[in-house]
Amino acid sequence: MTEELFRDFWWLIFPVFGMVMAIFGMIQNGAREDAILRDARERLERGQ
Amino acid sequence: MNFEELFRDFWWLMFPIFGMAMAFTGMSQSERRAKTMIDLLKTYTDQGKEPPPELLRMAAQSLDDGVNAPATRQQSNAWSFVVFAALSAGFTVGWWFIRDEGYAFAFLIVAVTMGVLAVGALLILLLGGKK
Repeated sequence: MTEELFRDFWWLIFPVFGMVMAIFGMIQNGAREDAILRDARERLERGQ
Repeated sequence: MNFEELFRDFWWLMFPIFGMAMAFTGMSQSERRAKTMIDLLKTYTDQGKEPPPELLRMAAQSLDDGVNAPATRQQSNAWSFVVFAALSAGFTVGWWFIRDEGYAFAFLIVAVTMGVLAVGALLILLLGGKK
């Protein structure tokens, strides 16, 4: 049953990989933008 | 109905659900960041200070998303056409191989949708690029 399911849907690995990469990219991009905003806020609080 | 049967019948639902989740998450996050960014820029301006270059670059980037240079916009339209045409071709081939299966309609729907999007992108590229 499991083997049959895998034989029928092995190709789903590729779109699922794409989805995982998209999520990963979004998280990384978000973290970068959050860091820029946090840094700007900290500079403002320090009075620079 | 066990999990395997459920999966076999509704596996294709993962794509629209993923798309909706990504769109919702991306939209809400970018809205929150844009609000924070504008607040920070306003505070810097009010205090007469120069905002950090990274913050200005980020603001310029988010403005550029809506107002691209014509050459970039044309390239983007051309790329959209290529992507949608490739997806349409891929799903058409996929549908052809499994056309006797019960779920083949899902491939056909995606192929037709991508085909219409490809034609739309091509029309925008041909008719909308000369400004």
